[in-house]
Amino acid sequence: MNINHLNGGQKLAVKYYIVAMVLFGAQILFGLLSGMQYLYPKLLFGILDFNVTRTVHINAMIVWMLYGFIGSVYWLLEEESETEVVGLKLGTLGFWVLTSAVTVVVLVFLLVQGGPGDDFTRWFINEGREYIEAPRWADIGIVVCMLIFFYNVSATFMKGKWSGISGVLTLDLVALAGIYIAGMFYTPNISMDQYWWWWVIHLWVEATWEVLVGCLMAWGLMKVLKVDRKIVTTWLYIEVALMFGSGILGLGHHYFWIGTPEYWLTIGGFFSALEPVPLVAMVVHAVYDSGVRHMKGNNNPALAWLIAHAFGNFFGAGVWGFMHTLPQINLYTHGTQWSASHGHLAFFGAYATIIIAMIYIAVPYIRGQEGIGSNLPDGGWKWKWALGLLNMGVVGMTIALLISGYEQSFIERAVGGSTWLGYFTAQIHPWFVQGMEWRMIFGVMTAAGIVLLLWDLLTIGKEPASNQKLQTKSS
Amino acid sequence: MIEPVELQDFFIVFFSGAMIIMTGALYALFFAWSRLQAKPWLMSLAYISYAALFVSVLTLAAAAHLYGFWWWLVVIMLVGYLFAPHGIWKLCVGTHSTHQGDNPPIPLSSEQTPNKIAEEKGI
Repeated sequence: MNINHLNGGQKLAVKYYIVAMVLFGAQILFGLLSGMQYLYPKLLFGILDFNVTRTVHINAMIVWMLYGFIGSVYWLLEEESETEVVGLKLGTLGFWVLTSAVTVVVLVFLLVQGGPGDDFTRWFINEGREYIEAPRWADIGIVVCMLIFFYNVSATFMKGKWSGISGVLTLDLVALAGIYIAGMFYTPNISMDQYWWWWVIHLWVEATWEVLVGCLMAWGLMKVLKVDRKIVTTWLYIEVALMFGSGILGLGHHYFWIGTPEYWLTIGGFFSALEPVPLVAMVVHAVYDSGVRHMKGNNNPALAWLIAHAFGNFFGAGVWGFMHTLPQINLYTHGTQWSASHGHLAFFGAYATIIIAMIYIAVPYIRGQEGIGSNLPDGGWKWKWALGLLNMGVVGMTIALLISGYEQSFIERAVGGSTWLGYFTAQIHPWFVQGMEWRMIFGVMTAAGIVLLLWDLLTIGKEPASNQKLQTKSS
Repeated sequence: MIEPVELQDFFIVFFSGAMIIMTGALYALFFAWSRLQAKPWLMSLAYISYAALFVSVLTLAAAAHLYGFWWWLVVIMLVGYLFAPHGIWKLCVGTHSTHQGDNPPIPLSSEQTPNKIAEEKGI
């Protein structure tokens, strides 16, 4: 792949995008294995147990999304700041350090898998906290790489030009690196441990990542739909205010049942009810903009994935979240397949879609094309089928997990009173098992979607469209 | 502090919770569409959606035992969802009319729709 015509930041972004897509594939592969182990519990038992495959599945997701975000920021950095990336060599070193660390951590997860509950295990094998199981040495490495990334971004904007997007982005990166530290220290009190752990999980996902995605969306709308910069910047500020207003204390919905004081029930319930407000704002603004701009863009796959992002975020985070967010019902649903159902649609809808859109925005530049229109030599069947299979696959998994989660909350929690008997009764109930079977079927559909997506990303735009002039872009 | 949902009300809670977000979005959608196209009949659909939202919120409140302090949550949801699209629409019109490139801002009136503004600006 010839990328000599790209600027320094974009060359580094391509590296991040490649690893992101490899890890996306790994996430799906280990997701399929985990799903199979629900149906065939003896599968790879003693070799790759469910706790290992699930750990790799969810950690691969977090890390590939992080790679996608970092890649996207490097991609837009020089264009947005109108200057070369400051400390690019350090940034490249950071990429290799992070990638080496991720490789070692995954190998340790797969080959060593676990250890006794002591400091050695915590430092070198597995920290034991769901989603952020990386051992302590890797945690420190991640924070160092985030700080290098922050330096690259902030120093570049300081040397070049600041904008509304770059200001929000830079402040958000401070929180991104800082909040991760909350998940790094050890306390023997499980309530305290969970209290800080949720800072990483919730505040990363429902605050810093959302703001980062808001910045990427703002930039993406300018590129794909040629929306005026001042408009997207104004709306970015409004979005940040709405998200922080509801999202930060929405953290309370994770504090319902971990041993924190009772007032978190009220705080969590109240602010969770406010969290859909930005989504209502999004609906009004989307209708307004579609009326003004008639959705005419220069990159069809990117636009399609941006639309998928809007719907996925609305349904995954909004509808699926609110259905079980109040403590009166969350008492029965938390930690069941309900959470998995919400998690699958929300992570895919809110984050995977926007990263894929950003990669599609980058692809024509990489291939020296003007855009990706409807005049592709193959009619664009690969990206269309990938879009359909991935979205239908994830929605199907979400519905299947919803049915299993409904049964689980009903039989295990409400009827069974969260006892072991209740747990096992729920696990062998036909509704649960059939839900798992359907999840597997839709998981395979999702896997087919990612194969097509990767194939398309590797090939789209290599042959110039009939009426499209090949044009090399340097930046 | 909280009274958990009764077993027989599980589905009602899930369904009404989903309907709150869906009807809230439909209300926002029809409201914005009506203003965009200047078609008053779409506004009727918007307020029918809001009526459905109202019923969904009260259904959720009854099934999830949202009494006492929690009643305030119900009131805030109903009032908030009613006025949010109005506020966001005003922001849309305001931001777009003052930020269309270097062109001077267009004076706004209740008759102006984004399509008309766009036509005038040749977007």
